[in-house]
Amino acid sequence: MSDGMTHDQASGELEALALGALDESERGAVLSHIAGCDACAAELAVLRTTAAALAHAVVPVSMSPTQRERVRARLLARATDDRAQSITRVARSADVVAIGAASSAVAPRRRISGQDWLALAATVIAVLSVGALARATAERSEVRAALQTAAATHGARAVALDSLERVLADRDQLIANLTGDEVTVMTIAAVDAHAPYGRMFWDQKHDRFTFVGHHLPTPKLGRTYQLWLVTPTAKINAGTFAPRADGSAVVRAQHAIPKNGLAAIAVTDEPSAGSAQPTTAPFLVASAGDR
Amino acid sequence: MAGRDEQALVELYDRWHPVVSAIVVRILRQGDEVEDVVEEVFWQAWRQAGRYEPSRAAVQTWLLTIARSRALDHVRAARRRREESLDGEGGDVAARQPAEGDPGSDAEAAERRRIVVAALAELPGEQRECLELGYFAGLSQSEIAERTGQPLGTVKTRMRLAMQKLKGPLQVLREEAP
Repeated sequence: MSDGMTHDQASGELEALALGALDESERGAVLSHIAGCDACAAELAVLRTTAAALAHAVVPVSMSPTQRERVRARLLARATDDRAQSITRVARSADVVAIGAASSAVAPRRRISGQDWLALAATVIAVLSVGALARATAERSEVRAALQTAAATHGARAVALDSLERVLADRDQLIANLTGDEVTVMTIAAVDAHAPYGRMFWDQKHDRFTFVGHHLPTPKLGRTYQLWLVTPTAKINAGTFAPRADGSAVVRAQHAIPKNGLAAIAVTDEPSAGSAQPTTAPFLVASAGDR
Repeated sequence: MAGRDEQALVELYDRWHPVVSAIVVRILRQGDEVEDVVEEVFWQAWRQAGRYEPSRAAVQTWLLTIARSRALDHVRAARRRREESLDGEGGDVAARQPAEGDPGSDAEAAERRRIVVAALAELPGEQRECLELGYFAGLSQSEIAERTGQPLGTVKTRMRLAMQKLKGPLQVLREEAP
């Protein structure tokens, strides 16, 4: 079919075009006609929505719970990464200070071995991390400066400002959880020798827990990581999580636990939907017994 | 979601994954790669949320359009690799386990389905066959002609008539708010 398609010829192919059923050679000719024909363009719009409605004929089906949760977790991780990157891009495009990435503090790591995962948690490092606090505070200052700069010189760039406001509020909350007058910091060491580690900040005044992990490998297909707060009588689920591409992760949880009621913190590898109770030995664990 | 809120993506996924999964299963006809395609559908929705125009289509229709495109891309790629036969596509979809979800969404989806199924039921079988081979199997008119053994002109006529008959009954779906 030639490019010089008449109106009648082209209008007779709109249904097939809407269904995506035109051969390539015809498709180009019809589209070329539509570009200069308002009537055909309007009819095509109607036919396309008609074609799209055909999808509603299909009976909804469920993926398995495992698949469902796996897709959900992957989407959330991708979106979180994407938003972080877009915020950095926006900040840079506004000529303000770029938002720093999460801190990558070097923490003492110890190898712990044995069978009983609570017994493995033999030591606790209950020292406030001055380095982590300094970094968090520095980040906050950077964000504040970026915000002021953006407000003063780039008022029209509301998107950047909104993004920075959100980051600032988030960082303020994080800093509050890290620096409260009743915050305990525990370094969680790896059970094996492969170096993942993390810090748990327990804001006892507000019952908030903030876990920051590093060097975490990507969970295997169908698996996720789960954080546990261990008391003498229970292992409390503090949330499942997947590390970012760089192996880092931040998990926040809120649980009211008496001041001397926390026995240990642990991270286990669990099925992607999470578990009501740990089903594997923890690969990160810290005892709270020596606080 | 256009504001880059991850929670909005999760809520969109939680609400609509059964219908998105359904169209992906219907087109792929097997479960091995459904999960990956469903993920890509919602990921594309996340990336393109700023382009979504509520005045043009309901969220569900927008998602299903993306889902069909991604699923057909997958099928065509597989076809190119293996020249896979598409005989009997999708006939068992109704026999699969129905999704469980929030009653409001279920009722809405069920009503949309009722309207479309009723409209399709009014079509002569050969017109419906052309339509389904084009829409769900992603075949071109030439391929449909080859598949059904009908002249190309006959396939074109059947497809055109089918779509014209559906326009009226399905108009209500076009006019619905998202």
